[in-house]
Amino acid sequence: MSAEVATSLGVTEKFGTLWHKYKGENHETALLLLILALLGVIAIVEPSALNMTFVGDIIRSGIVTLAMALGLLLVIISGGMDVSFPAIAIFSGYATITLMNSRGIDGAIWPFLVAAFIGLLLGSLNALFVARYRMETLIASLGTQVIIRGVLLAFIGSVYISTLPSQLDAIGGTSIMRLGNSPVNVLVVPVIVLAFLLSWMLKHTMFGRSIYAVGGDRESARRVGIRVPSVQVRIYLLAGLLAGFAGMVHVVLSRHASPFELVGTELNVIAAVVIGGALDSGGRGSVKGTIYGVVLISLVQNSLVRLGISSYWHILVVGLVVLVGVAIQAQAASREAKATRILESTEVAS
Amino acid sequence: MKNEPQVDSANGGSDTVAGALSVVRRNGNTFGLLALAVSVALIFSLINPAVYASGLNVKSIALSIPEVGLMALAVSVAMTVAGIDLSIVAVANLSAIFIAWYSRVGIEQGQSSAMVTAVALVGGISIGAICGLINGFVIAKLKVAPILTTLATMQIFMGIAIALTRGEAAYGVTEPLANFGYDSFLGIPLVFWLFTVVVLVVWAVMIKTKFGLRSTMMGASRMTAEYSGITYPWVIMRAYVLAGMISAAAGVILVARTASASADYGSSYVLLAITIAVLGGANPFGGRVAIIGAALAAIVLQLIASGLNMMGVSTYVYQIVQGLILVGVFVVAFERKRIHDAVSLKRNRAKSNEQPFIEAKELEETHA
Repeated sequence: MSAEVATSLGVTEKFGTLWHKYKGENHETALLLLILALLGVIAIVEPSALNMTFVGDIIRSGIVTLAMALGLLLVIISGGMDVSFPAIAIFSGYATITLMNSRGIDGAIWPFLVAAFIGLLLGSLNALFVARYRMETLIASLGTQVIIRGVLLAFIGSVYISTLPSQLDAIGGTSIMRLGNSPVNVLVVPVIVLAFLLSWMLKHTMFGRSIYAVGGDRESARRVGIRVPSVQVRIYLLAGLLAGFAGMVHVVLSRHASPFELVGTELNVIAAVVIGGALDSGGRGSVKGTIYGVVLISLVQNSLVRLGISSYWHILVVGLVVLVGVAIQAQAASREAKATRILESTEVAS
Repeated sequence: MKNEPQVDSANGGSDTVAGALSVVRRNGNTFGLLALAVSVALIFSLINPAVYASGLNVKSIALSIPEVGLMALAVSVAMTVAGIDLSIVAVANLSAIFIAWYSRVGIEQGQSSAMVTAVALVGGISIGAICGLINGFVIAKLKVAPILTTLATMQIFMGIAIALTRGEAAYGVTEPLANFGYDSFLGIPLVFWLFTVVVLVVWAVMIKTKFGLRSTMMGASRMTAEYSGITYPWVIMRAYVLAGMISAAAGVILVARTASASADYGSSYVLLAITIAVLGGANPFGGRVAIIGAALAAIVLQLIASGLNMMGVSTYVYQIVQGLILVGVFVVAFERKRIHDAVSLKRNRAKSNEQPFIEAKELEETHA
């Protein structure tokens, strides 16, 4: 070991300390470099594609993903996995629109709150199975995903609604600014605000810290006095609420309501969160990293068409990028685990 | 059966009484499923004997079980090593597409039908093995969590299938393969016979071989297994190769039955296969072999699906039923354990009420 250290002294070590200083809590810098590298490739292959329209498109396609990713982030930090959020999202969005149409009522702000509330109710199903029955989170959410989707299609409706209530539709057409040819919808604002709120909550509240504690080591969290089931209940209720809101954002942005959408996109959202540095075994992750993850996924999806890659190859390329991103994070995490031990042992030795 | 006590002693509870009890309990689950299958069949037969108990319906049920049953078997194997395989359907489709493609090309080149069939089958199963090896490599060597690995490879395998077929269905199977998908032996479809054989082979592999024992130990406790000299990659790679080959066998049945294959076939099977594996008694945290259980659970779910279909219930309601069964299995098991615990709590007041999640498995065994 000492020979290895001796030979790598100098430039490598300097780079090592620099890297250590700037790599960020969740390897955000590695992610940023990956994003820059991709942009570099686009700049070389198709420089004309790099314009403000491109940025606008990335924001537009990323905003629903980000809205869904926020709720999932909480679940993943707490050491769980959730695949039910797209079902919750589309259920909430579609049910709210159906309700508004059947009653003939219109509104702009409150439908979002109704959808979020429906999401909260559906999230309580996950909370029940995970906190009360201690089911494996993946299995529980797989179950609730089919139940929620089944109830939506069997009892709420399975028809495509092509026009939204007019006030809601107006929001879908309101933009705060234009980037090139791509309008940026006003809904970007609440999603960004939510992201900031969540980031603050994770860093500065008792509940936020408890989520990390539960994800890091459940038993230790319990022994320092955190009520694990109560934290889990709040996580899944909040995740449901965020998913419900995200569903409404999706419906308003797409300006139609189809009960068959969103379900099936869970992989991209999970990938965005995990690539953003949230550890699948729990205890780690940040809103900042998640935003980078969402940007990376949107970037890949939006640039494939611009680079002239046939749509038949898209799923394969996105899958490969996901695998590479996830593998980088996994490698970094396991290297870090080793590195910590070495550091501890040298400290003991000296 | 000789291996059973060894398996359980490896789980940590070295006393043979617990081992023997565990064997009874495991068989109890199997017998419970058997009873469930019989009662479901009886109930629907009583509702409409002319339709449900008819030879045609029984045959159609037997034709639908093998595909998803084999996928559930693959999931069950992955769960034994504390993993999961979400790429099962993508692997099955990829191998089915190869078989359909090679059948057409081989026949066009004028090769003999038997030769083409043999090459197509060997190629199809090999593709499954390669896909499984990729999964195993990423999980064991790159240390990516099984769920994330197989989520990504699911997309990659599906992406390869779409890129190869340009999103269109691949048609054409050889004469022997088409007959295999269609013919019956002793009134039971050949595909169901194949399913039975695969189930028995996989069961034997998981119970009787060194690999099976090592997988169970690795799933039960990775640290204990590694301290006993079992290497993690050795077991994980083999387990996922086995899962991949079983998925490819599902692909063989699918292409033989429908004479076509496409990249987007059967995406709803992923969840169904996991439901079946869990219902069959597999533990997502590993360490439990439940191959026969998975096969029986596949039969139970298909009996229910066919019954609901007969009664004119929509497929969406069947989805709800699937989900309810999946969570119901856990809820019932939990409540039963809670009552059991309440009784032992009376005997031993000092026992803590809040049991840590990660130790639930070990506790369950001490209680058994």
